[in-house]
Amino acid sequence: MSKVHDLIIIGAGPAGLACAIYTTREYIDTVVFEKGVIGGLAAVTDVIDNYPGFPDGVGGLQLSDALQKQAERFGAKIEFGEVQKITKKDKVITLHTTDGDYKTKTVLVAIGSEYKKLDVPGEKEYYARGVHYCATCDGAFYKDKEIAVVGGGNSAIQESIFLTRYAKKIELLVRSTIKASSVLQKELQKYIDEGKIVVHLNTSVKEIKGENGLVNNIVINEDSKEEVMKVDGIFIFVGLIPNTGFLKDYVELDNIGLIKTDNNLMTNVPGIFAAGDVRSGATLQIASASGDGATAALRIREFLEHKKLATY
Amino acid sequence: MPKSVTIFTTNTCGYCSMVKKYLSNKGVSYKEVNLDDEPQRQQEALALSGVLTVPVTVVEKTDDSREVIVGYNLAKLAPAIA
Ligand SMILES: Cc1cc2nc3c(=O)[nH]c(=O)nc-3n(C[C@H](O)[C@H](O)[C@H](O)COP(=O)(O)OP(=O)(O)OC[C@H]3O[C@@H](n4cnc5c(N)ncnc54)[C@H](O)[C@@H]3O)c2cc1C
Repeated sequence: MSKVHDLIIIGAGPAGLACAIYTTREYIDTVVFEKGVIGGLAAVTDVIDNYPGFPDGVGGLQLSDALQKQAERFGAKIEFGEVQKITKKDKVITLHTTDGDYKTKTVLVAIGSEYKKLDVPGEKEYYARGVHYCATCDGAFYKDKEIAVVGGGNSAIQESIFLTRYAKKIELLVRSTIKASSVLQKELQKYIDEGKIVVHLNTSVKEIKGENGLVNNIVINEDSKEEVMKVDGIFIFVGLIPNTGFLKDYVELDNIGLIKTDNNLMTNVPGIFAAGDVRSGATLQIASASGDGATAALRIREFLEHKKLATY
Repeated sequence: MPKSVTIFTTNTCGYCSMVKKYLSNKGVSYKEVNLDDEPQRQQEALALSGVLTVPVTVVEKTDDSREVIVGYNLAKLAPAIA
């Protein structure tokens, strides 16, 4: 029989890596599975201003590298692959991954979320040909160009500000009103005053069009009036959806697909825990995801030691 | 082992550093074209990949064939450098 690990963490974002730092430091044999980028969404964020301990902010990539090094220093093994299914027989949990089957006594699901799509004509067709969901990845292609950013939450405002370093003008399309934090709104105002960002409230995107395989305009509806806006690209930040499709018949989810846990961060399946953005009730911050990871680590240790978990 | 590997990157792209880490772990050396430093080479990246995104990894094989891999895509990257 293949080795049964103590813990497998799915997702090497801040929640997964924080948990791995704690568990490996306590000699709990830990494997981390990552299908994308180590650091998760933190790794694709330019600068993080509100993670404690960094008075001048910290680069997303820099923080991700540091988390990885810290986890590996204590012995965490990071495997590249996607977990596609979980099954459990007796007390052994099997993770079916793109890299084969792995067995474990406990699992931490720390898989975060991914970007929501607009679901409008042209969005799929022009993906990465003018339609983008990652400013730090694709922004450089829009030096001195005119682009649209869709969304009014923290991510949309933060990414619009980031994109001003490339684009000469940004049309910020907001379905209702701006919901970002007051700190971000204050910063945004500077770019509005400079004329670099133009805000369009009550505006939705109806269609994305292009020529020669690349986006060259979008159809918008602003205050119930339809018009064509000429842009070279469109960046979409309209929220996140949980990555939990592969778990839906196995662990209990809430009505938006986030994983329900008890106060020990354990799901309805004994031995399977959840932490970070994917947990129902999470506050969607790097600091809180890391905190969740630490809490989960301590509860997982208790579970492995057959201690009765606290009931609240 | 491939004959040569070139990666088109930018300073802030998380997936670019994943490709670089992966190649380094496998002992494969590569040339990097940073499009923040050399924006004039964006058209070259677009012509190779057909898309406006990085990383774009170009693997030149010993039989002189060439494979272009967009993004951090291990399913394509792993066999291409084998
Ligand atoms: C644009 C933007 C800006 C942000 N700015 C800030 C900020 O300034 N400050 C702040 O505190 N927070 C910020 N956030 C939020 C923050 O990034 C998240 O709250 C945090 O990254 C959540 O961590 P996590 O570990 O729960 O999930 P994630 O960071 O999403 O990591 C989950 C990981 O799991 C992997 N994964 C998913 N499914 C599987 C699978 N089946 N198998 C293997 N691996 C899998 C994913 O590839 C991913 O790497 C921002 C978010 C965005 C989108």
